[in-house]
Amino acid sequence: MNEAIRMQVSAFVDGELPSNESELLLRRLSQDAELRQDVAQFLALGRLMRADHGLAGADRLYERVAAELNNEDLPVADIHPAESSGQSRFMQPLVGASIAAAVAMVAIFALQQNTGVDEARNAATAAVETAPVVNEIVPGINVQQERQRQYFRSHAQSASELGANGMNSRVVSLQFSQEVIQPADVETQEDTEASADVDDTEERSTQP
Amino acid sequence: MATNRPAGTVRLLLVAVLSVCSASAFADLAPQEWLNRMGMAVKTTNYEGTVILIQDGSAEALRVVHTVKDGVVHEKVVAQEGNGLEIIRKGNEVHCILPDRQHVLVEEWDNQSTLFSTLPSSDVQFGSEYDVSIVRKERVAGREAMLLAIRPHDEYRYGHKIWLDYETGFPLQTQLISAGNAIEQVKFAEITLNEEIAASSLMPSMNTENFTWLEQPSSHKGSSVETTWQSDALPAGFRAVSTHEEAMNDGGEMVTHIMFSDGLANVSVFIAANSGKLESGPARVGGSNSYSITQGDYEITGIGEVPAVTVEQIVTTMRQP
Repeated sequence: MNEAIRMQVSAFVDGELPSNESELLLRRLSQDAELRQDVAQFLALGRLMRADHGLAGADRLYERVAAELNNEDLPVADIHPAESSGQSRFMQPLVGASIAAAVAMVAIFALQQNTGVDEARNAATAAVETAPVVNEIVPGINVQQERQRQYFRSHAQSASELGANGMNSRVVSLQFSQEVIQPADVETQEDTEASADVDDTEERSTQP
Repeated sequence: MATNRPAGTVRLLLVAVLSVCSASAFADLAPQEWLNRMGMAVKTTNYEGTVILIQDGSAEALRVVHTVKDGVVHEKVVAQEGNGLEIIRKGNEVHCILPDRQHVLVEEWDNQSTLFSTLPSSDVQFGSEYDVSIVRKERVAGREAMLLAIRPHDEYRYGHKIWLDYETGFPLQTQLISAGNAIEQVKFAEITLNEEIAASSLMPSMNTENFTWLEQPSSHKGSSVETTWQSDALPAGFRAVSTHEEAMNDGGEMVTHIMFSDGLANVSVFIAANSGKLESGPARVGGSNSYSITQGDYEITGIGEVPAVTVEQIVTTMRQP
């Protein structure tokens, strides 16, 4: 997946991608399995690593797709000019919506299958999930954060080899581990704002 | 029946006498001997209890079960508040279960480390940078404990207070002290020691079959290397005790890892190629401080359970002749 696609996906999730480009992106996702996988991983990493590229993960993608589906002004003709020219005008919105829905479902299903990041909707796909699949956490988009975490872990391990089984180091390492699988910023933004006055532990624990 | 009573009484008396004798024997132990006892107790004691972790002004309760079977550490830690985090450990493999996120993070820990052993023990030789002393007997978690204090001579390292179980030497409470204040504290609210641990007590509390499982790859530690990097102004007592090259798992880049130690406090310095993305400056998590700078073609990051000034001084004085 090249940088241009990443930026498109990022803009799409943020709701900043023009509608015609959104449709093209969704259509491309529906046709390109490899790209779907790349995007799924990209979004999962963004979510897992609290990326600062405006990415938030599948929830926002789902919302964006849902918004697209609810958009009555879908530019069907732009997406499928050849098809629309030969079809009833009354059919166009329905066809357009169906295609968008199909694309969206494919994209979301791919995300769920590949990353499992959207637990709230996992019930719908539970039937296809069997034994737990261990996914390796690939280095994230926020390289520095991941690097810092690795440094802490390495330090904790080396300290324990010296005989200093640092409770401190271990706790820090655990905190970093939890960071990896915290929900995306956007998902908790409202909650965070609402509870900022009573719970700023996480912020304090990672700030100088 | 009647003939058994005197024998039973004698046995009780014998136990009482032996207890008094052993108790008085402990009373004469030097501070280093107490630390040796702690080191042994941490490795061999089975325990189950509730630990309070106080850090950065917040307190967290953790339920802990720990046992060693055939040399393999089995441990279960369950957060009693918040997200209900569970840590299940068997030997090197650790599963961090986050019920609220329905994720399981699989990590690999080295086999020597344990969650609640807090300090080096018999291998540590306290130099001129610390004083270690026995303070007094106190009670912790309903048990008699001996309080030890480790006081640093300067501002480059933290102090420690340790409450060791009088009977076993197990650490019932520890405090990390900075400028007279406890900046991190681990304390057992209640504990049972050396009792049989049921296998079921070490199992996850929930079915994780449908959770998302993620594997946390460990960094690959290379062999020892020699380096020309050194600090121009290492705080007194610190010396480089090891240097390794490590492959980071974010692309396999090799990083030089130098470990400095004063025998108690440790500071790791990582030297990597300049990525142009490093966020320079200090950071802190609990009692751990880190400091990062860019120096020419390199990024240098230091991390340690030391005051911020220590890690900053070491990092900013790293030089390559």
